[in-house]
Amino acid sequence: MHFRIRDGVTLDLLPTKQFKTIGIKVDFVAPLTATAITARALLAQVLETSTAAYPTQTALARKLSQMYGASFGISVVKLGTKHVIRLTCSVVDEQYLNQFADQTPLFEQGMALLKAVLFEPLLPNGQFDPTTFTQQRQNLLTAIKSLDDDKQYLANRRLQELLFTGQPAQAMSALGDTTTLGELSSADILGTYHDMLANDAIHVAVVGDVTAERVQEALTTWPLTDRTITDDSPYYRWNKRDEVQSGDDLAPVVQAKLNLAYQLPIYRDDVDFMAAVVFNAAFGGTPLSLLFTNVREKASLAYYASSSYNPFTGTMGVQSGIQAQNQDRVIAIIGEQLAAVQRGELSESLLAEVKASLLNARLAGLDSPQRKLVGLLNSELTHLTEPLKTWQEKLAAVTVADVQRVAQQVTLQATYCLHGGDQDAE
Amino acid sequence: MLNKQAHDRLGENVYQTTLANGLKVILVPKVGFHKTFAVMTTDYGSTDNEFVPRGQQKPVRFPDGIAHFLEHKLFEKKDHDAFDLFGQYGASANAFTSFTQTSYLFATTSHLRENLDILLDFVQDPYFTAQTVNKEKGIIGQEIQMYDDDPGWQSYFGMIGQLYPREPLHIDIAGTVDSIDKITADDLYAAYNTFYHPSNMSLVVVGQLEPEETLSWITANQAGKTFAPAEPIQRIPSAQTPATEIVPTTTRHLTVNRPKVSIGLRGYDQVPAGKAGLAYSDAISLAMDLLFNDSSDNYLRLYDANVIDDSFGYDFQVQRGAHFGQLAGDTDQPESFVSELTAILNDGPAQLLAAREQFDLVKREAIGRTIGAINSVEAIANQYDGSLFGGTTLFDELAVLEAMTFADVQAAWAQFSDASRQTVYTILP
Repeated sequence: MHFRIRDGVTLDLLPTKQFKTIGIKVDFVAPLTATAITARALLAQVLETSTAAYPTQTALARKLSQMYGASFGISVVKLGTKHVIRLTCSVVDEQYLNQFADQTPLFEQGMALLKAVLFEPLLPNGQFDPTTFTQQRQNLLTAIKSLDDDKQYLANRRLQELLFTGQPAQAMSALGDTTTLGELSSADILGTYHDMLANDAIHVAVVGDVTAERVQEALTTWPLTDRTITDDSPYYRWNKRDEVQSGDDLAPVVQAKLNLAYQLPIYRDDVDFMAAVVFNAAFGGTPLSLLFTNVREKASLAYYASSSYNPFTGTMGVQSGIQAQNQDRVIAIIGEQLAAVQRGELSESLLAEVKASLLNARLAGLDSPQRKLVGLLNSELTHLTEPLKTWQEKLAAVTVADVQRVAQQVTLQATYCLHGGDQDAE
Repeated sequence: MLNKQAHDRLGENVYQTTLANGLKVILVPKVGFHKTFAVMTTDYGSTDNEFVPRGQQKPVRFPDGIAHFLEHKLFEKKDHDAFDLFGQYGASANAFTSFTQTSYLFATTSHLRENLDILLDFVQDPYFTAQTVNKEKGIIGQEIQMYDDDPGWQSYFGMIGQLYPREPLHIDIAGTVDSIDKITADDLYAAYNTFYHPSNMSLVVVGQLEPEETLSWITANQAGKTFAPAEPIQRIPSAQTPATEIVPTTTRHLTVNRPKVSIGLRGYDQVPAGKAGLAYSDAISLAMDLLFNDSSDNYLRLYDANVIDDSFGYDFQVQRGAHFGQLAGDTDQPESFVSELTAILNDGPAQLLAAREQFDLVKREAIGRTIGAINSVEAIANQYDGSLFGGTTLFDELAVLEAMTFADVQAAWAQFSDASRQTVYTILP
């Protein structure tokens, strides 16, 4: 069920008795700009910490415990040309509790909590609480630094920076950069906060055993205003380079992390979108894939070797963990697999298996409240809503020739290797 | 005959039976679900490295990492790989090895019978040769090295290694590059024949299924095979580290941006047998919630003093033959992290009493989270404890939590804590 709450504010409701919980998601969607990413990431972190009524994270945590362990969080997501601040809250459906004596049902408590977080934050003297602000800015700083301890993550970050040199909004992590973060003031994010409330497109989604009346009634108490949404494309289109960008860094790692980035200029609304999904699954997106079979199983060169496709940025990435001295061999094998698909060498049996696997994943997603909620934003941004049956028909119709046509548009753009030098062989 | 356990308030039923060959079968239908998740588990893990092989008289010490190696190799057959058989139907398959168990699993939204046959057949038909065993050494070697680069894993195993220096628990589940190099096809057969008898295994299936029909498929598959009679398994008990020999503290330098500290707490008390063990385990977890979770006064105080941050976490686990708690996090003040948290641990009973008002909150939270887990077919299947607590499920855990009192938590904590020993493992930049 789809509702317009105000201009620029929508509600999707998925009523079902399948789950023991009721899930709520609120997305604030703004254009992706390099200058705003860091401030929005910090704002999300500050809003998540406390509210006027629950002024410490302990007070907020106790409220969540009291609500039978309601989960609540705010995250930031980059999606093509959009930046999303996402609030999620999941509460138990109280009909499954052995005793429940609260006056207000847990769904309404969850909506009230989200309202408090969004519209009644801790703003003594009209500014974000200084202690909270300083502490959360420091926490975000250390979180960004700690992420680099994950070498697979670090290698992927460096690859994105290489791939999108000169395109800072795309190159940057969704959490922003430490330099900007260090300079942000409490007043800066107050401005970001008011901007978000006034101007972002807002998409509310609810899944669970709850009626439209209950959801709408809870939403009427939120002080939401009409907003004008520039409905520009969520797809990031970019010109490929003639030369492959290469980079590497020395780090004390035992296993080298080799990552590759390709342009795959097919987006969600392209006729070949489904063929691109199938291509990625066959190339490196599943354990049946060419990369998994040839790099890991046949050549024993890697523990992991996989690819992922982003239909909002027109990119495909390959990630692998290898011995540094095998780098050239691994790159050659990966290149051979792509060349083979470009020549149309893809067995009908692998195509059929990959399609079965994609169908399985799609149906399995229907059993996850989180995945159901997240899928709704994609439909909202792309204006593509497709019944399951149509989706299945499109999947079934993809041929080897379709996959070949997609593969021929794939171009290597960047390679990056994080390695321990020559001495790392054991 | 299926034994049905109804949970009417939750609208869920659990069906259990044991087949003639000893295989335990647990079926949980989930109305409205598209997916079915199946997991077949043997009570055999990385710590079971010394035992009397079936058909032999004397104990044998096997190379470290053999259970995990066997897990990898079981998928490969003479002329095919079991992964590909699942792949024909689009099912996703996987496997994992823990300290005491090895599990093989698949998830599917169609062809349940065919996938169950593939699972049962590949797990019950080993094929190991010198050539296939040697080929796997490169892949597993890479897997071991991947963990070598993971500071979180290093911190966790560093802590365990100090609590259990004499027990096989301190050895990485995958073994070492050197130890797996010694593994032979004969070793794998010896381990397989000893631990993969149906009487040492369980099959849990959760999701879209019809119980009687699913059982009939499993029974038909098993009826087509012959198994040797069940025999008792003779594991050689490992050496026990005396409480006085626990390494109290170690500091190691790695390339990390921030210090990582892991505090371990080894229990020397006896975990109660059967379902009481589950109640004991849940009571300790609730005690740790009262002392350390983000709704505790301790948490706020240490958070505001920048001793802990959002990376802080803790858990308590019971394994066959071992139980321990862990507190871990990144911190710029590793010394305060240790002194503050150990001070709370050492003052446990008084600290629990001071947090008594929060008991209703942490209990509500545990109940809510457990009910939420019923949304997940994987959570239901993985929560089945096998032989640890006598075959309890997520639904038993919910009942245990609902009945839990503050006095239960105090008593369990006192039992655990009084006989426990601590260790600290610190990683510095």
